[in-house]
Amino acid sequence: MALLSESAKAVAAANGPAAPTAWQAWRYRLKVALREPTTLIGVLTALLFTYLIVVPIISIVLDAARVQFGHERRLSKDVGEFTLYYLDRVLFSPVSADLFWRPLLNTLSVAMGAILLSLVIGTVLAWLISRTDMFGRRWFATALIVPYMLPAWTFALAWTTLFKNRTVGGQPGWLEAVGLTPPDWLAYGRFPITIILALHYTPFVILLFGSALRRFDSQLEDSARILGARHHQVALQIILPLMRPALLSSMVLIFAKCLGEFGVPYVLGLPVKFEVLSTSLFRSIASRQMGVAGVIAGSIMLIGIITLLIDARLVREARRFVTIGSKGSMDRQSRLGRMRLPAAGFAATVFLMSVGLPLLTLFLSTIMKLPARFTLDNFTLDYWIGRDLDTVALKTGILLSPDLWAAAKNTLTIVGLASVTSGILGLLVGYVVIRTPVRLLSVYLRQVTFLPYLVPGIAFAAAYLSLFAVPRGPMPALYGTVVILVLALIADQMPYASRAGISAMTQLGKDPEEAAQIAGAGWLRRMTSIVIPIQKGSLVTGVLLPFISGIKGLSLFVILAVPSTDVLTTYSLRLVDYHYTQAANAVVLIIAAIAYLGTLIAQKLTRTNLAEGLGS
Amino acid sequence: MPTINLRGAQKNYGVNSANAVSDLDLEIRDGEFMCLLGPSGCGKTTTLRMIAGLENLSGGEIRVGDRVVDCVSGGVFVPPEKREMGLVFQSYALWPHLTIERNTDFGLRLRKLPKAEREERVERVMQALDIAKYRDRYPSQLSGGQQQRVALARMLAINPGVLLLDEPLSNLDARLRLEMRAELKRLHKEFKTTIVFVTHDQWEAMTLATTIAVMNEGTLQQIGTPNDIYDRPANRFVAEFVGSPPINILDFGDPGTSDVTDKAEAYLAAHLPGLRSIGSVGIRPEAIGYAARTEDVPEGSFSGETTVTGVLPTGGNWILELRTDNHTLFLTTHVPPRVEQGARVLFFAPPEALHVFDADGRRIAEADDRLRSTATYN
Repeated sequence: MALLSESAKAVAAANGPAAPTAWQAWRYRLKVALREPTTLIGVLTALLFTYLIVVPIISIVLDAARVQFGHERRLSKDVGEFTLYYLDRVLFSPVSADLFWRPLLNTLSVAMGAILLSLVIGTVLAWLISRTDMFGRRWFATALIVPYMLPAWTFALAWTTLFKNRTVGGQPGWLEAVGLTPPDWLAYGRFPITIILALHYTPFVILLFGSALRRFDSQLEDSARILGARHHQVALQIILPLMRPALLSSMVLIFAKCLGEFGVPYVLGLPVKFEVLSTSLFRSIASRQMGVAGVIAGSIMLIGIITLLIDARLVREARRFVTIGSKGSMDRQSRLGRMRLPAAGFAATVFLMSVGLPLLTLFLSTIMKLPARFTLDNFTLDYWIGRDLDTVALKTGILLSPDLWAAAKNTLTIVGLASVTSGILGLLVGYVVIRTPVRLLSVYLRQVTFLPYLVPGIAFAAAYLSLFAVPRGPMPALYGTVVILVLALIADQMPYASRAGISAMTQLGKDPEEAAQIAGAGWLRRMTSIVIPIQKGSLVTGVLLPFISGIKGLSLFVILAVPSTDVLTTYSLRLVDYHYTQAANAVVLIIAAIAYLGTLIAQKLTRTNLAEGLGS
Repeated sequence: MPTINLRGAQKNYGVNSANAVSDLDLEIRDGEFMCLLGPSGCGKTTTLRMIAGLENLSGGEIRVGDRVVDCVSGGVFVPPEKREMGLVFQSYALWPHLTIERNTDFGLRLRKLPKAEREERVERVMQALDIAKYRDRYPSQLSGGQQQRVALARMLAINPGVLLLDEPLSNLDARLRLEMRAELKRLHKEFKTTIVFVTHDQWEAMTLATTIAVMNEGTLQQIGTPNDIYDRPANRFVAEFVGSPPINILDFGDPGTSDVTDKAEAYLAAHLPGLRSIGSVGIRPEAIGYAARTEDVPEGSFSGETTVTGVLPTGGNWILELRTDNHTLFLTTHVPPRVEQGARVLFFAPPEALHVFDADGRRIAEADDRLRSTATYN
């Protein structure tokens, strides 16, 4: 055939047009690329995200190696000059143990503990839900995901409500109130943080492991059994190796999430000076140590990036296995027999521990004057709707406090604006990534919008602070404004928004749009009458998902918000700091309710299981 | 519609990848029903999309009549929405959010035709394709065959000069496919459009096309009428790709390895003296006959001894598998075979049924004439 094409070439050379020169080919490609606004939009969004994502990250990393304001004397250098002082201070100086090494060890130990615990609980639950005839498994399949829909530090507040001891002032915990003083290790620090993070991230394992189990081709099991393998042999030699990618992947994801987790260690770690990387970073920022903050934030990012690179590798490895299972994968159930009831009991216990008990505790705490006294005269609605209360500040019930409504309004405008913007930008990015003839642009946009995923929120917020705290070029100083929060939120949500957009555009495929093109429709017409109407649903998802995660998000706000731009999360944290326990808990319940209802509405609207989207 | 001309058309995706289409010269005349035929990945769909303008060129040019619509060196690119062609996608690509009527109407609305004329034209194509009764339904409520009709109607409504079809029948079941083939032939007559049809199904190509262009690995292998393609394949690829069961090829690569190739070589040497560099010879299964006795073998034919190793009925026809030392031949017959598996028989083929290819796989046209004259002598 090679010779044949040679001869065909000879014919073409004889009477066809001359081969184009490099310049001609380039001019032609440019003409094709610029014919439609796709590429222009792509270039503009790429510039926007470079500014919103790449530049802040570079800025904070540079901060780590530049003399900061106030340190000129000590370092006898001018502000902005190169220095290794901060690197040395964080990693090698006498205070490095407090600043970095102990928090790092604490982060690692908490993360490992949380991973181990959630794997043990999660795999069992995933198996019970997806492969057995446990009672109420359908209900549990949704119910056990709920912890992930609630903000993690909801549980931290519930925990303090129960276990707080006299180490910290304010209202005593319930156990303390009935005369049992919980030891510090139970009340604060490593133990409760680990437990809470484990319960919060167990849904990850249930989702990832469960979906791998459901997709598992039971013919693979059957083949092994027909060849004479026993139950445990099948489990160890066939199922476990094939499940390994899913397990490793959920481990890595939980680790990455724990790395950036701020609220839980802040609430539970502070009283006993138990620091993790995120709280250490927060402390550096709070004390205006931007150089040190830069080093810590850079380290968190580095660990995050390494972790997610490992995950990307695992996913690729997992793909090798996916091709095997396709046809015979069916939802086969093991019969639990006598174990049916105990299994359901186990699932119910986990649900009670991770959802029922914390929420009930929080709720009860908001309607009781004194903790843990269950007499009728102790119950009151004052903390919700009372007036003229006997307190220093906050003299009304929380629902009557103008601060709450201001925070709620802030939350809705900031998070709403950010999520609508990121939803639209996500769809645009998806469109450009799939459609642009310029490959480089497509790859760059895909990568840059994914970048914030690698950077824990707290480090990202620090990066924003470093860039936008002072006026730069035409940009005025944004710290303390709503703008910085909206911008940071948009950037932070882009991984989810752009992924939603890209997957929606991939699923749509080229055909419907090309058919319109053939029928004579130009670009604008195709967008308005074909692409956007078809993508209505995913646009709604692309707005709602960031909205939900923005409502319950804490780490971005805690660094970037000031009292005038308080949102619900920072407002409740402030109440915690002032020991208005009932009010703080009430606000957290409101947030949890919004997040949960939002998820439900989104699920109804799109008829998909959003919980799975949250996990990715 | 004037003639469509591809000259030196070339497409590669990325600098280092192989050409999807290389140096393709193709002429599609007005009113033609042309099939682009080839295995998957041969570049036929890319060619179709280049004609439509959905794929830009990497080299060469495309003209419609005198107008250049796409030319790399000239820097010309007319976008698909301005080429006034129709294209039916393999996936149908109906717009899921529009009713059948609105789907059909879409192109007409874009052309800002008066309402009365739009309604009349939509009505006409919906009647012609028998989908008028589904006008208010959405695509997801229709079966595959019905969706296929809507996809066709949508394109016919704008009355395109040329209708491009990308494997439009591949998602239909066998019976529906047969019906749609007849339908397409009827539409080709009724609407008098030029049709370019991409398929990997040789029967589809044979039954529909007025001209077939066979492609492989991005290059044009042969262009001609269906009979040309079948009876006078230009090279071994075409010979082997068209025909089922496939043509029997005797490769003269290694002399002495096979009894039957040696025989064929000797036979050709005797009948085509002076013709050198024969690489292989092909015989279509239906051109082979068999006989129990030497007397029944027609004189002058190429023949040899063989064992029947398989009798495979295909419903009305039979395929016989014949084994000679280390070579397997297939023959087809519509007469019920009177032999059992394991029987020793003689196979034979008339000289004009031998397709002779050179060492590079190209057909030796000279051999055809000489073999045919041999046949008339006897």
